[in-house]
Amino acid sequence: MKCLLLANESAEVLFYWTDTEFEQRVQEQYGVSQEEGERLPAFEDSINTLFAPIIISCSTMVDRLGDNYTSFSTENNHIYVLHQFEECLYIAVNGDGDETEEDLKRKIFVMKKLTEIMFGMVTFSGALLRKELRPQDTEQRNRLWKKLRSLLETYSRLRENDQSFLVEAVERLIHPTLCEQCIEFLERRLVQQINSNMDRMGEEVLHAFILVHTKLLAFYSSRNASNLYSSDLLALIILVQDLYPSKINLDETSEELESSSVPEVFYTPEPSPPERESGDSPPVFQFVDPDVQMAEDSLQTLEAPTPDPSAPSRVFLESKECPMPHSMYCLPLWPGITLVLLTKIPNSHVATSVCYFLEAFVKLEKRLCEGHEGAAAMRGQPSVQEQRSRLEKLIKTWTSQLQNAWTDFKNKAFSRSGSGFTRDLLPSCRNMKTQLCGVYRQFFAAECMGSSQRLAPHLQERALSMVQEKLMDWKDFLLVKSKRNITMEFPGLIHFIYVDRSNGQMIAPSLNVTDRTVSELGKGPLADFIKKKVWSLVATAQRYLQKGYATVTLRDGDYFYCYFLCYNISNENDMGYKLEVIDIPSSPDDGAPVGMLTCDYYRKLLRYYSKKHQNEVVKCYELFTVHLGVIPNEYILQHCSQLARKLWEPTRIPLL
Amino acid sequence: KITLPPLTNSFFFLYDSSKVQEEVDLTRDGIYYFSPEDTPIDQQELLCGQLAGVCRCVSELSSSPVRLLHLRKSKYAVRMKDKFLWALSCVVDIPDVSVCDLLDQLIALFCFYNGPVRQSYQLYSKQELALRWARYLCHLQGGSTELHHIFSCLRTIDSTHIDPLLLLKAALILQACQRCPLVLAGCILYRGRVVSTQMPPALTVKVMVYETQTYSQDFQVTANGLSSLVGSPFSSTATTQVFLMPTELHMLRCPPVDRACRSHCNQPPCQPSRSRLLSRTLSDTPTTDTDSSMPSSPRSSLSDELCFSPSPSRVNTPIHSNLMNQSEYFTPDSHVHSTSNGTNLCAVEEHLAGLNINQIKSEENKLDANNHVTNKNGNGETEEEAKTKSKQINRKLKEKNEPTNTPSPHETLEDTSLVPLVLYQHRVKGLVLALLVEPEFITDHSAREEVHHSSLASLNGLEAHLRNTSPGTPGPPGPYTFAHYDCIQNTLTTNVCGRSVGPQDQAFVKATKLVHSHFSRLDTLQEAIVRNASSAVYGTRTTAQETYFLQQGTPVRNSGSPDPQDSAFSLPRKARLRLLKHGVNLL
Repeated sequence: MKCLLLANESAEVLFYWTDTEFEQRVQEQYGVSQEEGERLPAFEDSINTLFAPIIISCSTMVDRLGDNYTSFSTENNHIYVLHQFEECLYIAVNGDGDETEEDLKRKIFVMKKLTEIMFGMVTFSGALLRKELRPQDTEQRNRLWKKLRSLLETYSRLRENDQSFLVEAVERLIHPTLCEQCIEFLERRLVQQINSNMDRMGEEVLHAFILVHTKLLAFYSSRNASNLYSSDLLALIILVQDLYPSKINLDETSEELESSSVPEVFYTPEPSPPERESGDSPPVFQFVDPDVQMAEDSLQTLEAPTPDPSAPSRVFLESKECPMPHSMYCLPLWPGITLVLLTKIPNSHVATSVCYFLEAFVKLEKRLCEGHEGAAAMRGQPSVQEQRSRLEKLIKTWTSQLQNAWTDFKNKAFSRSGSGFTRDLLPSCRNMKTQLCGVYRQFFAAECMGSSQRLAPHLQERALSMVQEKLMDWKDFLLVKSKRNITMEFPGLIHFIYVDRSNGQMIAPSLNVTDRTVSELGKGPLADFIKKKVWSLVATAQRYLQKGYATVTLRDGDYFYCYFLCYNISNENDMGYKLEVIDIPSSPDDGAPVGMLTCDYYRKLLRYYSKKHQNEVVKCYELFTVHLGVIPNEYILQHCSQLARKLWEPTRIPLL
Repeated sequence: KITLPPLTNSFFFLYDSSKVQEEVDLTRDGIYYFSPEDTPIDQQELLCGQLAGVCRCVSELSSSPVRLLHLRKSKYAVRMKDKFLWALSCVVDIPDVSVCDLLDQLIALFCFYNGPVRQSYQLYSKQELALRWARYLCHLQGGSTELHHIFSCLRTIDSTHIDPLLLLKAALILQACQRCPLVLAGCILYRGRVVSTQMPPALTVKVMVYETQTYSQDFQVTANGLSSLVGSPFSSTATTQVFLMPTELHMLRCPPVDRACRSHCNQPPCQPSRSRLLSRTLSDTPTTDTDSSMPSSPRSSLSDELCFSPSPSRVNTPIHSNLMNQSEYFTPDSHVHSTSNGTNLCAVEEHLAGLNINQIKSEENKLDANNHVTNKNGNGETEEEAKTKSKQINRKLKEKNEPTNTPSPHETLEDTSLVPLVLYQHRVKGLVLALLVEPEFITDHSAREEVHHSSLASLNGLEAHLRNTSPGTPGPPGPYTFAHYDCIQNTLTTNVCGRSVGPQDQAFVKATKLVHSHFSRLDTLQEAIVRNASSAVYGTRTTAQETYFLQQGTPVRNSGSPDPQDSAFSLPRKARLRLLKHGVNLL
């Protein structure tokens, strides 16, 4: 029984998603209270009525107590999580025990991230976001909500099944040679060719990457592109997976168990693991021979028909200044393998200017609200005159509503008859904000862009066939490789995940319990059990990390779990030297969940560390391990330390 | 640095939504009790109204009552029952499980002394009952460390500074009292702390409130319709009506001890399904069970090994079962006790007390001066009066109930489910003997006499000993901090003392909160080590206990990367070693 709901302060539902169980429950409740013969109210209205008391109580609590609900739980373990972003209230509900409070909170933050990716700065204005999320036209609204629901479901599926969405880091296919070849190909052939073509309609490819399912094969950014953050890359993978979902067939597992000819492998620890010199020890992980594990029918994907295949998606990506509009082209090379191009669109410089002024007005509003007046209200900003003349210059080409709002603002702020910089200026200030967001929307919102604004279809086709040709011989290998990226050999080690938080990438043996290919753990109940344990280990570690604990070991049932977060100063010749642990500030319970997709917790953590090590590159990595509990602790720890040393190496291959 | 107890700034309220149903109804009419009481009424209304509304909405959506409600700055444990809503707030970093336990304890306390809530509010005014809520709240919140709140455990005397024989003596007194068939179980408290108990922890907590009331000497007879105090200059006794849940009563009435061995006749028949709770009397202990080399005693007619095997899962008389099991089995005197009429017990007690007999005498004289408050209260009332009073109450109840609308099926269920019983207490200065007895005890003069006289001398002796036991200079604090929680007896042993807590202790408490809450969520979790830059804490648990350990001193420099040499990982070994001397066995 699951539900996610967005509402504004006037208790209007801006978006909702429910599973069928929740829908049934709501209808039952209304069915009972309804008079005989009376028609059931529209589902949306029922939802609205049911949640209205909670939503209204939330705003009362904020107004009168300066506090707000963050969660409820009931005796039958239903969980409600609430979070307010500006004027928008998110409520997530779970009644079947699949999700914890933390999971629901994460879901809310991911939903928020997805709206930011789709609508950019429009999300800054409650009124405009309402317009965007709840279009007047019913059909248009249904289309949008369907899209959002599908994105949310895609995210949930990935979160449940994909380790890279568990730890929120991108997983690379480990094949350095092929990877380097591909990067070179993307740079020298593909991007160069598109960017020099006349039919690109003013667009310019900034980033290009190839995904095999959710794993990254190669990534190229052009020289004048700004950095693509891991949080955005992860969100884009959700979008791609939504368009071209990898098939996960749950039904096949059980019958395969019986027919499976693959002997189950149990890892038994050696009675006393021998001391291993790092030189002659067997490799901790190795590349899998593609010929052996080929399973042809695991390669199907579900085709999702797109109405206009050559139309790009509008995405807004983080940059230093503001969410920058981009066009995203997803070109399916083969089922499961996708080429993604991110292009800069014409006029995108307007976004920077709009952002600049928007920020100025946000600051002004804040200072006015705090009671600062006159010159004090503008403290911390460039001079008023400078901003004024800059805005005067630009505004002529922008909307008339903005021009009106500006005239009104000027009259109040600068003329003698006006109020000057006092509290009375607040409405005009807010109006300016809304109008600026409106300009941004008009320039960049997907529906406002002309449908002709795209790389010419033939250009897209050309790109597709070029990469197809390049990877033709590799495609089967890649698809298998994506299921069995690495294998490991250590008696007693059940599983590990290694995450380099400096570049947002992770390495882990596969855990495909529902897929036809056999994962490292074999399959069936044991693998499923371990998978659950791994998922809960990550959640646990994140909870402790949020409270400032960077090392955690747990003995739970027959297994021993470790978690380490550490910092290194990177230098050229070796691992660099280790940084001493300093106390991590523990975050409040209502803060964003630990992760990269939603708030880039680790980016903040790195910044926090870097302050103390200016001029040096601080690296941060995490290691999660699951061992058999019967192994003596000292061997487990020794092994963790070996593993960390080995895993450090491949991440230094410059891929990004 | 002084850390405030985590509940001082908390809200607690009881709200009856059946009083606020129409538009015209005022929210304040539904507020039965609100703490702190000086909260402005509009704020009370705001909180009660909002929380009750939101809880109702959520419970309708989920068809289940709300249990916990988090806000950004605080959290509320919630109970919803028959239109009543209780809510208790605390700061956010108290584990969920702890605050929920506290609220449940609070409600249970109220019902223990007052019976069903709806009925109480029919009998007494809001003001009268407000006093009681305040008292219970104060009892649960006050005077203990944050660790006590986390585990919501019983406060016990510090056994490390007490002669183990005194604990044995306390246990013997209780067992002697149990020889009267009307006595179900008892406990002995000293200055608000448990010395020895025969009751399950949840009941002991309830009995202790009563003790706190009298101990703080603001006890009012009027507070509970049915109270009587009969006192001599040296000691006083009181009886109070209390209400037990059927499960609790069942445990008390069906102890694992064969009552046929008791001195009195007319025993209630022993139930076939024996509860594993409750104590046995020492005289029943077959010596052969412990030492097979000794010849079997001809008197030991019992061979119920189950009852006597020292199982940790049984709530036993002593607080420290290891210690007491030893004493019981290996005290050379034990065979002396074996005659079952109880007189020899007294003799032993006299023997134990004899060393300080002069001291006791002088203390008894001092008692005169201190005891007049309780005596004044108690002197007038006799058993007859108590009886008529109880009849009056019953009549009053009937009158109140009948004309009003009949209670809902749920309420009736709740009403009938609580069984009235009597709490007898005999206090000697700071020492209190509290016994749960059958209602007939009040009228059974000879039973009362016997219990009173058989225990009086021993109580005096025990009191004197306990008073003269120096609280013990807590010694130089060790280079470590630990907390050991016994889940069965609900007790805590720790060297985090008092309210002034150093930074290391704070780090310890913080980690303990997190790991305890993790343990409570995950049954299979056995041990955890959590480490930040400045401290590392080791937590381990079994079904019977939870132990937390922190090694003090300068933190070993570490990079956070896995390192077998890391001192954090040697904590389990150190804990095993260090805690042995505190009676904590982690092997």
